[in-house]
Amino acid sequence: MSELLVPFEYDYMLKAMFVSALVGAVCAFLSAYLMLKGWSLIGDALGHSVVPGVAGAYMLHLPYAAGAFFAGLLAALGMALVKQRTRLREDAIIGLVFTAFFAAGLLMASLYPTSVSIQTIVLGNILGISDADVIQVIIIASVSLAILMVKWRDLMVVFFDESHARAIGINPNALKILFFTLLAACTVAALQTVGACLVIAMVVTPGATAYLLTDRFGRLLVLAVAIGASTSFLGAYISYFLDGATGGVIVTLQTLVFLTAFYFAPKHGVLARRRGHPGDAAEGMVP
Amino acid sequence: MSELWDFFVVPLSYGFMQRALAAAILIGAVCSVLSCYLVLKGWSLMGDAVSHAVLPGIVIAFVLGLPLVVGAFAAGLACAVFTGYIKENSRVKEDTVMGIVFSGMFGLGLVLFTKVETEQHLSHILFGNILGITPADLIQVAIIAGGTLLIVLARRRDLLLYCFDPQHARAIGLPISVIHYALLTLLALTIVASMKAVGIILVVAMLVAPGATAYLLSDRFERMLAIAAGTSIGSSVVGTLVSFHIDGATGPCIVLMQAFVFVLAFLFAPRRGVFAMRRST
Repeated sequence: MSELLVPFEYDYMLKAMFVSALVGAVCAFLSAYLMLKGWSLIGDALGHSVVPGVAGAYMLHLPYAAGAFFAGLLAALGMALVKQRTRLREDAIIGLVFTAFFAAGLLMASLYPTSVSIQTIVLGNILGISDADVIQVIIIASVSLAILMVKWRDLMVVFFDESHARAIGINPNALKILFFTLLAACTVAALQTVGACLVIAMVVTPGATAYLLTDRFGRLLVLAVAIGASTSFLGAYISYFLDGATGGVIVTLQTLVFLTAFYFAPKHGVLARRRGHPGDAAEGMVP
Repeated sequence: MSELWDFFVVPLSYGFMQRALAAAILIGAVCSVLSCYLVLKGWSLMGDAVSHAVLPGIVIAFVLGLPLVVGAFAAGLACAVFTGYIKENSRVKEDTVMGIVFSGMFGLGLVLFTKVETEQHLSHILFGNILGITPADLIQVAIIAGGTLLIVLARRRDLLLYCFDPQHARAIGLPISVIHYALLTLLALTIVASMKAVGIILVVAMLVAPGATAYLLSDRFERMLAIAAGTSIGSSVVGTLVSFHIDGATGPCIVLMQAFVFVLAFLFAPRRGVFAMRRST
């Protein structure tokens, strides 16, 4: 029994578990919106696009979040520019831009291997995170969470029904910009926990899991945040016993929770539907 | 002039560079052909998903003593099948399902990798190691890439019809689901072949950039295939040579070269480039 409590005796483990839980919570909050809109690829693209910024920031000894933000912004601008000027499909443009950015980051890391650890950026390293980085993550995540708590209803209205939002005096474009800024910020925070390749799971899976469990958006948010925070906390805890791969453990847990919901969800699960709720799949979401 | 000569010829005096360039040409060719279909079909995320999902397959194949390419191939295909199954049986959107499945498999792969003692380097799987390619690897790449290329080129009309207009393809009696899974299989094979060279994270760039570039330059599919193959092989070769001279990672150099070619096409394409459009308005 006492062996199970060992991780709680180390400062770095406590730090890792609570920071992961915080990041997991705020990413899950965003995931509820992202998966409703079918914007999963954007989450993945942001996670990869910030890599050259992080590598550059480490090389120049700047705060990593600043570099990441700058690179994310450049990538978003690049995508918008190509989209406006060509007839290419959106998914191809996103794929093209984010891989180019990611490749630039990898090349920088290979040229200056001492100042940048590519393994850390790509796979995350919450167990060995520096205090300066912890502070950045906590600030980003708590500010984002606070803004989301205040604005969640407005965002919901915009994402469900833009014309209605406009009618009741909400500016949809301003809120969308706010949303993507928050998404970029949380991607940057998640980078430290699970790494660039697994960011997509943090901003997609909890929301999708909650979507299988409820039809009301308010409840969906609560469920998603609970799932995101608990799987991240638990994942960091378990990774102590595995000696690493925190990101991998967190995401594996999230996927397992999703699969459980997929089969056993009371109304939308495979088993429930087999028992005779056909057609439920078509039912929409109620705000 | 002699500097340019040196740029191309000096690397060729090394055996490992000869093999790397041969692999780059093969992989550039097969990826470029596939990329034309993916770009038209809107399957970029599928390329991304399948490529990440091969990681657990590699580890499991190692544990079971199977060839790594077999495990990688099976895992890549499993990702596509799981995605289809979950999408059919839940109300979650396809792109979300794909994100969940491939990140879950990649995460699982990472966990397995830390637990299993393999002789593989994680960074070589993730980012490729074309300069360390062995003659046996090269033969493997040649077989997989050559086979895939032959199949795609032989059935290019059916695949094209499926990508452009599945309804019409069904109407004239083509077996849609067979073609669907055939394209997925070819995609998985291409990814497996490219794994050694550019790694599983960057292969999606090889599977999008050439097709996207060619799409800006041509309205005819046959010509698009030719342009994609030309730019892709060219950038793979030049990228490999550049990485030799600047002593940087090869995969990223190839991808950046392709991105550079895309930017050139984006700006200067005769009819659809930014400058051409400006002149005409």
